[in-house]
Amino acid sequence: MALNYFVIGYYALLIGASCMTAHYNMRGAFLALFSLTLASFVMGIIGGEPALWSVTVGAGVIALCAGTAFAFREFLSIILPHEGAKAMRSAPLTASFGLFVIGTYAIAGIFAPIIAPFGEAEVIAQAFEPANEEMLLGADQLGRDLFSRLVYGARNTVGLALVATIAAFVMGALAGLLAATVGGWFDQFMGRFADVIMSIPSLIFALLMLSIFGTNLFVLVIIVAIIYSPRVFRLTRAVAGNIVVMDYIEAAKLRGEGLWYLIRREILPNSTAPLIAEFGLEFCFVFLLVAGLSFLGLGIQPPTADWGSMVRENATLISFGEITPLIPAGAIALLTVSVNFVVDWMLYRSSGLKE
Amino acid sequence: MADKKKDVLLQIKDLKIEGYSDEKWVEIVHGVDLTLHRGEVMGLIGESGAGKSTIGLAAMGFARDGCRISNGSVEFDGMELTTTSEADRRALRGSRIAYVAQSAAASFNPAHRLIDQHTEAPVYHRMMKRMESQEDAIQLYERLRLPNPDEIGFRYPHQVSGGQLQRAMTAMAMSCRPDLIIFDEPTTALDVTTQIEVLLAIRDIVEQFDTAAIYITHDLAVVAQMADTIKVLLKGNEVEEADTRTMLENPKDDYTKSLWAVRSFQRDEKPRPGGDSVPVVSVKNVDAAYGPVKVLEDVSFDVYAGMTVAVVGESGSGKSTTARCITGLLPPTSGHIEFKGEVLPPSYKQRSKDQLRQAQMIYQMADTALNPKVRICDILARPAEFYGGLKGGELKARVDELLDLIELDPAKFYYRYPPELSGGQKQRIGIARALAAEPTFIICDEVTSALDQLVAEGILKLLDRLQKELNLAYMFITHDLATVRSIADEVVVMKEGKVVEQGPKTEMFTPPHHPYTDLLLSSVPEMDPDWLTQLVKERGVEQLGENADRD
Repeated sequence: MALNYFVIGYYALLIGASCMTAHYNMRGAFLALFSLTLASFVMGIIGGEPALWSVTVGAGVIALCAGTAFAFREFLSIILPHEGAKAMRSAPLTASFGLFVIGTYAIAGIFAPIIAPFGEAEVIAQAFEPANEEMLLGADQLGRDLFSRLVYGARNTVGLALVATIAAFVMGALAGLLAATVGGWFDQFMGRFADVIMSIPSLIFALLMLSIFGTNLFVLVIIVAIIYSPRVFRLTRAVAGNIVVMDYIEAAKLRGEGLWYLIRREILPNSTAPLIAEFGLEFCFVFLLVAGLSFLGLGIQPPTADWGSMVRENATLISFGEITPLIPAGAIALLTVSVNFVVDWMLYRSSGLKE
Repeated sequence: MADKKKDVLLQIKDLKIEGYSDEKWVEIVHGVDLTLHRGEVMGLIGESGAGKSTIGLAAMGFARDGCRISNGSVEFDGMELTTTSEADRRALRGSRIAYVAQSAAASFNPAHRLIDQHTEAPVYHRMMKRMESQEDAIQLYERLRLPNPDEIGFRYPHQVSGGQLQRAMTAMAMSCRPDLIIFDEPTTALDVTTQIEVLLAIRDIVEQFDTAAIYITHDLAVVAQMADTIKVLLKGNEVEEADTRTMLENPKDDYTKSLWAVRSFQRDEKPRPGGDSVPVVSVKNVDAAYGPVKVLEDVSFDVYAGMTVAVVGESGSGKSTTARCITGLLPPTSGHIEFKGEVLPPSYKQRSKDQLRQAQMIYQMADTALNPKVRICDILARPAEFYGGLKGGELKARVDELLDLIELDPAKFYYRYPPELSGGQKQRIGIARALAAEPTFIICDEVTSALDQLVAEGILKLLDRLQKELNLAYMFITHDLATVRSIADEVVVMKEGKVVEQGPKTEMFTPPHHPYTDLLLSSVPEMDPDWLTQLVKERGVEQLGENADRD
C-alpha cells in the first residue's frame, strides 16, 4: 500500500479523533473509532487504497444521512405546532431520518407526473441505454426512462401497499375491538378463525387466490388485507383486552352506552399508540409481499411501473456487473428501514415515557 | 426511644433533588436536613407530593428514573453516598440499608418462592450460606409471628395474604441485619385488623435488632405508634421536626396543626325519615356467587333519601360485591334490589336508561375510573348529553355548573386531560361525572382510601355538602372507620359475605358491640403513642397471632 497523502490523512484523522474522544471520556465513540482504526490497518494491508476509499465513502454517506436527519429534526421542531415540536426535540436521529425518507417518497408519489421527466410507459431510447443528460439512471429493457419509472413506482407500489395495509387494519382492528368488548363465544370464534387464516402460508395463499380470481388491483388489495388482518386482530384484541377491564369502561357500561360508543370513544383512543406502531410494521410486510408478488409476475401488471417487477425485468443486467436492477430494490429496502426507524421511535414513546 | 442518644448513622445535609419534567429539571426537594442515630426510628409524614419517598430513596443514595440528586450530602456511617461509585452503593443496599415497599404484592417476584427471594441478598453479599440463611429466615418468620414459620417461606407470593406478605417483606429486609431500614408506607394498602399485626411485627423486630428506621407514611396515628421522632414535610420542604410526644401534644406550625385536626370533621347523624316513606334503595335478602364460590349470603339493608349508609368490613367481606349487585354488574343468585319500591331487573343490561341514571357510582381509583384520553369537558358532558339530551351552549353551561359544584375552576380545567390532574382533583371529576346524570343514589366505593388525609377530608366535606343540596342517598363502602365516624348516618358491618350488625351510627359506636365490630373499632390506630402497647396488653400477643392465622 502506497503511503500517499490520502492514506496518511486517513489514519491521522482516525487516530486524532480516537484520542479526542478518549480525552473527553466518550467511551462508546472512542471504542467505535479506535476499532475502526485497527480494522483499517487490516483492510489497508489486504485491500489496499480502494478498501480505505470505500470506508471513507461509507463514512461520508452515514455522516450525510446523520446531517440530513439532524437538520430535518431541527426544521420539523421549528415549523410544527407545540405538541409535535416537543415530540420532535426528543426524537432520535434515526427517527427523523426515517421521517425524512418517508416524506421524500410521499412527495415523489403524490407529484409523480410533475417530477418524472417522462411517462412511465413512454419508450424514449434504446434498450438498456446507459445514463446520459436526459436519463438520470439510463433506460430499462424496453428503452423507458428508469428514473421516471422509479418515481411512478413510488406512487403505484407504495400506494397499493398503503391501501392494502389500511384495509387490513380496518378489518383486523374492528374485529379485535369487537372480540375484546363482546367476549364470550364471539371472541372464541374470531380467534380460531384468525388462527385458520394464519396457518396458511401467506405467499401460497396469495398465489392461489390470485390464480382463482385473476390479477387485478382490487382482488390484490382484498387478498393482502385478508392475509394480514389476523395479526392486527390479535394485537388489537390483546390491547383492548387490557382496557375493557378498566373502571371507566364499567362506568360507561353502567351508563347504558352502546357497543359502538364503547369501542369508538372509550377503547380506541387508548389503544392507538401500539396500533400505529403495528401499522408501520405491517406496512413493511405488506410492501414486501406486494413487491414479491410483482417479482413473480402476479402483482401489478405491466406497463404500470412497480419496483418489484422492475427488479425482475432488469435482472439480466446483474450478470453484466450493472447495479441498475438493484436501484428499485434499494428503494424498497430504504423505505422499509425508514418505516422501521419511525416505528421503533413510536414504540419507545408508547411503551414508557408518555405523560 | 428518643432519650437513648447514640452515634449518628445517617446524616443528610441540604439535600436537593430535581425531577425531569416537560424538558426541564424542576427542583422537587428543596434542601432537607436529616439526622438519624443508631436504633432510632424517624417518621416522615406529609401529603402526597411532599417528597417523602424521594427522600427515603435518597437515603440509600438512589434517585428514581428521571430524578437526580443535585445538591447536598448523604452520609451513611461515615460514607458519602452521593459521590461513591455505584458498585460501592450496591454493596450497601440490601446488606446495610434495606427497603420495604408499599405494596409487597407488587414487589415480590411472583415466579419465585418467598424464601428463595429472602436468601438472595445474604448469599449475594457473601454473608451467609444458602442453608444458614434459610434457617435464619425461618427464625425471622417465627419472630414476626407468621403462621407455620417452617413452611410459609416455601410458598409463592400469591399463596399468602397481603398482611403476611408485608411481614415476609420485613423479614427479608432483616435478612442481612441492616443498620437502617426504610419503610415506605408499609401498611397503607392493608385494612385495620391486618395493619395492627404488621405494625406490631415491625416495631418488635426493629427494637430487637436495634435497627434504625425511616418510616414513611401519611397516617399520623400510625407514625405515632412507630417513631421516636417525627419530621413533617410539605412540598419538598421541612415544616418541623420534634420527638413524637412533643409533636403530638404541641405542634408548632400551622400546617402540622391542620394535619392533626383532619380527623375532627364530623357531622350530626340524621334519623330515618319517619312515616311510610319508601327507601331509595333496598337490598332484600341478596345472595351472590362468583361461579361456584358463594360470596354474599342473605344481605339486606335500606338506604333512605338524603342519608348515608356506610358499609364496613375488611377486604374480602363482600362490600364491593354488594355494590356490584346493586349496580347490576353481578346479578344476585337469589333475592332482589328494590329502587323506590319497584324491583330492579337483576342485570344492568335489562334496566331502563332512567333506572341506570338514578344510581351512579364513584370509584376508589380515580386513575382507572376516568378515561385518560378524554378531556374533562367531554367526560362530564357525556352523561348530561346521554340522559338529559342537552346540546351546544346548554351542555357547556351544564358542565361549567358541574365544575363549579365540585369547586374546580371551569376556565382552568375545561380542556384538560385526567393525567394532568392531581389525585384529589381526579376524584372530584369522578364525583362530578356521577352528578352529571342527576342521580338520586350514589355508591361511593372507597372513594377516599387512595387519598391522603387533607385531600380526603376535602372530598368528604364536598360529598356532605352535595348531599344536603341535592338530597342524595349514599352507600359508602369503606374500611376506614374514621371516615364512617365523620360522614355516616347508618352503619352496616359485613364479614365473610354476611351482615354482622347494622344500625344508626351512634348506636354502632357505643358498646355493647358484636365481637367483630368491636375488633374493627379497637383496631383503628389512635393518636396516642402508647395505643399499640396498650392494645397488645389488652388483647395479648396470642390473640393477634390468631388473627394472623385466620387471614
